Amino acid sequence: MFSEHVSKKLSAYCHGEVDSAESRQIAEHLIACNWCRTQYEEIRLGVKLAQRLPQVSAPDSLWFEVQAGLAKANDSSVRPFSFGGWRPQLAGVMAGLVLVIAVGAFWFYLRETRPFWEVARLNGAPRIGSSLMNEKGRLAVGQWLETDSGSRAQIDVGTIGQVEIDPNTRVRLVETKATEHRLELARGKMSARIWAPPRLFFVDTPAGVAADLGCAYTLEVDDEGAGLLHVTSGWVALQLKDRESMVPAGASCATRPGVGPGTPYFDDATEVFRRALARLDFQPGTQETKIPDLDLLLMDARPRDTLTLWNLLGRVEGNDRVRVYERIAGFSPPPEGVTREGVLQLNEQMLQLWKDKLETTWSQQSFGRFGKAWIKIWTGALGRVKSEDGKK
Amino acid sequence: MEQRAVMAEPIVDDRVIKACQAGDREAFRLLFESYKDRVFSIAVYSFGGDEAAASDVSQQIFLKLMTSITQFRGDSAFTTWLYRLVVNACTDEQRKRRRFLNFGKSIPVTVVGERRPQEKRFAKLELADSVQAAIQELKPKLRMPILLRYVDDLSYEEIAGALGCSRGTVASRLNRGHQALARKLGHLRNEVVLGE
Repeated sequence: MFSEHVSKKLSAYCHGEVDSAESRQIAEHLIACNWCRTQYEEIRLGVKLAQRLPQVSAPDSLWFEVQAGLAKANDSSVRPFSFGGWRPQLAGVMAGLVLVIAVGAFWFYLRETRPFWEVARLNGAPRIGSSLMNEKGRLAVGQWLETDSGSRAQIDVGTIGQVEIDPNTRVRLVETKATEHRLELARGKMSARIWAPPRLFFVDTPAGVAADLGCAYTLEVDDEGAGLLHVTSGWVALQLKDRESMVPAGASCATRPGVGPGTPYFDDATEVFRRALARLDFQPGTQETKIPDLDLLLMDARPRDTLTLWNLLGRVEGNDRVRVYERIAGFSPPPEGVTREGVLQLNEQMLQLWKDKLETTWSQQSFGRFGKAWIKIWTGALGRVKSEDGKK
Repeated sequence: MEQRAVMAEPIVDDRVIKACQAGDREAFRLLFESYKDRVFSIAVYSFGGDEAAASDVSQQIFLKLMTSITQFRGDSAFTTWLYRLVVNACTDEQRKRRRFLNFGKSIPVTVVGERRPQEKRFAKLELADSVQAAIQELKPKLRMPILLRYVDDLSYEEIAGALGCSRGTVASRLNRGHQALARKLGHLRNEVVLGE
């Protein structure tokens, strides 16, 4: 009985991966053999410990990253580079060496020729890819820049602007070329200052794309993928598929995965107004259950809040739309050529005419005499920004 | 590190696989949702708790899955095919990291689990954290069968398929892995027994 110990089969025995005859044989052996019993106790402890190993949830941004990677692979018609097929043990020594040299050279060539942005360390120890960066670094297309709780970094967006990366932030350079500079913000907070013409700089987030129209803004994304855009100068378009919000200086706009951007609002709106708007935008419910929030919002609206109300026109229906219309008209009646019926039917031309009139109120405090110029830029950019829909 | 004690059962069947092969985005999404936590868990434990590296590798795995699923002919179980991708991707990435270190890179790859002395870490962490830390210190060839067995609940046959080795080799590696865990964490024996 002791001539053949069963220690090599003990894990399989614990897992029920041996047949019944063998299982009985092992059990009998364990009764009689002290050495194997000691081994069994040790392995059983190992099994119980391993059973404590929890599964880890993948970050919500992973699907978005996979989609972005897939889109990029499709765009370039080049399959992602991988060492997966490399099996040096199957090749001869010389063939292996040649392969290693060739792959290495190719890899270094790709690495050196990839477009990149310059990155400066502001605090702590930001990482580019898996490497800690020095005072200066290069963020190549496809690479991630990540800051921990004590680090910050500044990115030069080619020659068109700068982006500051706050602590606990993860960004990736998706694209940089003459006609488009694109960053992905997976989580954390960044502040952008862009002095290039509109439509050159985009930031992908899990809940929408922020398209710069010549401006400065901050953008935050939490661990759930929810975002908040705050514009400090100029205009930013926030878009997910067909849903779009144009956000002027002094205003903010929240965005949620699966929903897209909410309705923009001025930061100096009352708290009651902002809370009611958040519930209207993102809280599940029917038109009936949202009536109290619409009541609060309309009651607390100021002339400047026609920014929010005008955007709401297309997002509410029926009697709610009539109420929103009446409230805006109370602040600023529709101009000549714009009828009540046309607005309620969301006639684009009439909405635009009324918006042109309302914008003077929105931009008064944020742009002064430059307001009109910004509006022209924004208006000209609108159609082209919409063409970016395919990116999401 | 957010953790989930119970994993969702995959609802991927032949129809979903075929839809993926036909380029159906919704089917891809279903496939992704079914396996994302399992794949990410393997990656995160393979890279010493480095979630950024795990995220990058998981991304590569799903990209590879999506771009090469048409090559899956059903000769083996889909899970075997998927986990072979997972094992290969993790192994390749580990090789790459070792190679960089061998070239004398001045800044070592930071592994979250290596930031504090072992004794101090084990004294402070909860039981589950201690197990994670001990698993991360196993040799890769012992660690991977443990992960496939306990994180993904694969049978010996499936693990053998994913690793490209025999069932006997799987049994042997699991044996050694269990023994290594028991020796590293023997001082927690009472906690494990009491926690049953």
